[in-house]
Amino acid sequence: MSLPITICDDSKFAQRMLASSLPSEWDVDISYADNGEQAIENIKQGQADVLFLDLNMPVMDGYQVMQQIRDNDLPTMVIVISGDVQPEARKRILALGALDFIAKPIKSGILNEILEKFGVFCASDEVLEHAEQKTPQTRVTGVEAFTSQADKFDALQELANVAMGRAGESFGKILNQFIELPVPKVNLLHANELQMALVESTKNAKVSAVSKGFVAQGLSGEAIILFNDANADSLSELLGYSEHDMHRNVEALMDLSNIIIGACLNALSDALQLAFSHNTPIILGMHCDVKNLVESQSVKWKQVLMIEIEYSIANHSMDFELLFLIPEHHADAIFERMISSKLHNNDLSGAAHG
Amino acid sequence: MDSMALANNWQSNLIQSIEVGILIIEKDYSLRDWNKFMQNHTNRAIEDVAGQSIFSIFPELDKNWFQNKCDPVFSVKTPMFILWEQRPYLFKFESARPITSVSEFMYQNVTIFPVQNSAGEVEKLCVLVYDVTDQAISKQKIELLNAELEKSSRIDGLTGLFNRRYWQERFESDYKLAQRNENTPATLMMLDIDHFKKVNDTHGHQGGDSVIIKLADIIRETMRETDVVGRFGGEEFSILLPNTDINSAQIVAERLRKKCEDSTSIYDNTPISFKVSIGLAQFKLDYTTPMLWLEEADQALYSAKFEGRNRVCTA
Repeated sequence: MSLPITICDDSKFAQRMLASSLPSEWDVDISYADNGEQAIENIKQGQADVLFLDLNMPVMDGYQVMQQIRDNDLPTMVIVISGDVQPEARKRILALGALDFIAKPIKSGILNEILEKFGVFCASDEVLEHAEQKTPQTRVTGVEAFTSQADKFDALQELANVAMGRAGESFGKILNQFIELPVPKVNLLHANELQMALVESTKNAKVSAVSKGFVAQGLSGEAIILFNDANADSLSELLGYSEHDMHRNVEALMDLSNIIIGACLNALSDALQLAFSHNTPIILGMHCDVKNLVESQSVKWKQVLMIEIEYSIANHSMDFELLFLIPEHHADAIFERMISSKLHNNDLSGAAHG
Repeated sequence: MDSMALANNWQSNLIQSIEVGILIIEKDYSLRDWNKFMQNHTNRAIEDVAGQSIFSIFPELDKNWFQNKCDPVFSVKTPMFILWEQRPYLFKFESARPITSVSEFMYQNVTIFPVQNSAGEVEKLCVLVYDVTDQAISKQKIELLNAELEKSSRIDGLTGLFNRRYWQERFESDYKLAQRNENTPATLMMLDIDHFKKVNDTHGHQGGDSVIIKLADIIRETMRETDVVGRFGGEEFSILLPNTDINSAQIVAERLRKKCEDSTSIYDNTPISFKVSIGLAQFKLDYTTPMLWLEEADQALYSAKFEGRNRVCTA
């Protein structure tokens, strides 16, 4: 009899990526869940002897699912698959009873190792080798079937998810703090909507902002850090600047921007196999109204793809926002690179393993 | 000497002649190499300094601070950008144009990026130093101009008091303050020159202006620094007195009225005397908008006019 498993991730793209990475001769019956509530339902329906669980999701996140499973003693084995690669996240979910933790993007081979380690799947080396080379084509519909705009947004959101996790880890390590990761939001905005979106997301507080452009193979975009000024002093303190440092708030803002944007771009570079040139960032404004940051008249583009990531540091009730803005005509190209390098990656790692 | 070893090569030429400082620094912060820009600005050949600690070559470089900037370049493998706004310069060089530049030193933007070996480990750092003196000076000039512009946009040209637009801005924020601190009184004063039309008709508009200027001077010397004084209209003035109840305000208003009565403005060798009427209203929680408070003070001013002018009335 097939083993019932559930893949729970708010991204359909991530669901399919994972499904296509499972060993092809593993006899399973796959169900999907878009959030934690559906996952719990699946377990109760007996559709999840093994649950592959994402952490950062809307409605009910992975931590809450783990808590429910534990509180109600639900019959499932959980393997967490997340872009949140902070050691603290790993510690939390293992403490909540997960079997193991796999970092996104999933490296081929890791999955088999873990499945074998916990005895849910066992393959001879020969079969394994054979299986991995075939994986992307044989298991369900692959990611190449993604064509609608919703699908593309979903894929970009997943890309942002992984990049955001890497950046959060880097910055968390430097601050020695746990950084709460959100679900990234992807939106296509008209030129005149950008200002409004910014005002909305900062709730009219005074902000400071840094912008950095990036470009590779003709694909360009801009990354912006928006920082709520109410938090400026506590961030400076966390970063070790004393009150006597004249420019401590600028220093802190620049440190934050350098590390968050830098680490995100590194992750994007890996995922898209592009080596981005970073331009020297500029301070868009210090202590100003967000509506003064972007002058809606001066825009040269019609539509822009905005990926919005709202980080927070719970212990210090501090939050800041990372925005990736990509002119619409580059968004498709990025998406195509994403698909081709994913397939390429899978082929490569499969071959290397064999 | 282990130098960039790209002699007779256009790339080497480029590295040497580009108007950007380039330094290669080892993991232990010793200098491996630098280009001609660095050599020319420090007046030290690479042969004399290679292998030395960057901190002994540049005593002005704060060791802790610089290492903190470099740490993420090693650990996160991300470039770090340092802007002149956070630190005017990394290395203290003279301004590139020693005669006409208004700055004594060179403002610098700095990029520190990782140099990875074939195994992907960060072995060295590359530091780029950009001369942004002109950019920094222009930005500072613009900020100064903006500050002046902002100031001038708040001031009434004739009297030097706040203009109506800015006074109302301040009034509205002080109104909010009064709402929050109901135990701290605040009083609003509206003041108007009596029969001002007659002054204008008799002495001409310039004569009228001289009265307005004289009155503004009297108000300035009578009021406290914390009072918010504005020219509300032609011959009408508005004054917000924070931390002042109606009784104290009445004393101040009476003093002001008396001073006006006793003084004259001289125009064209002719003394012009003038009198003022004053209305007062202390803040009450019933004033649900700033307008209501203002109307109440205006009403008191109207009463002062109605009762015969040259007097102070309260709401």
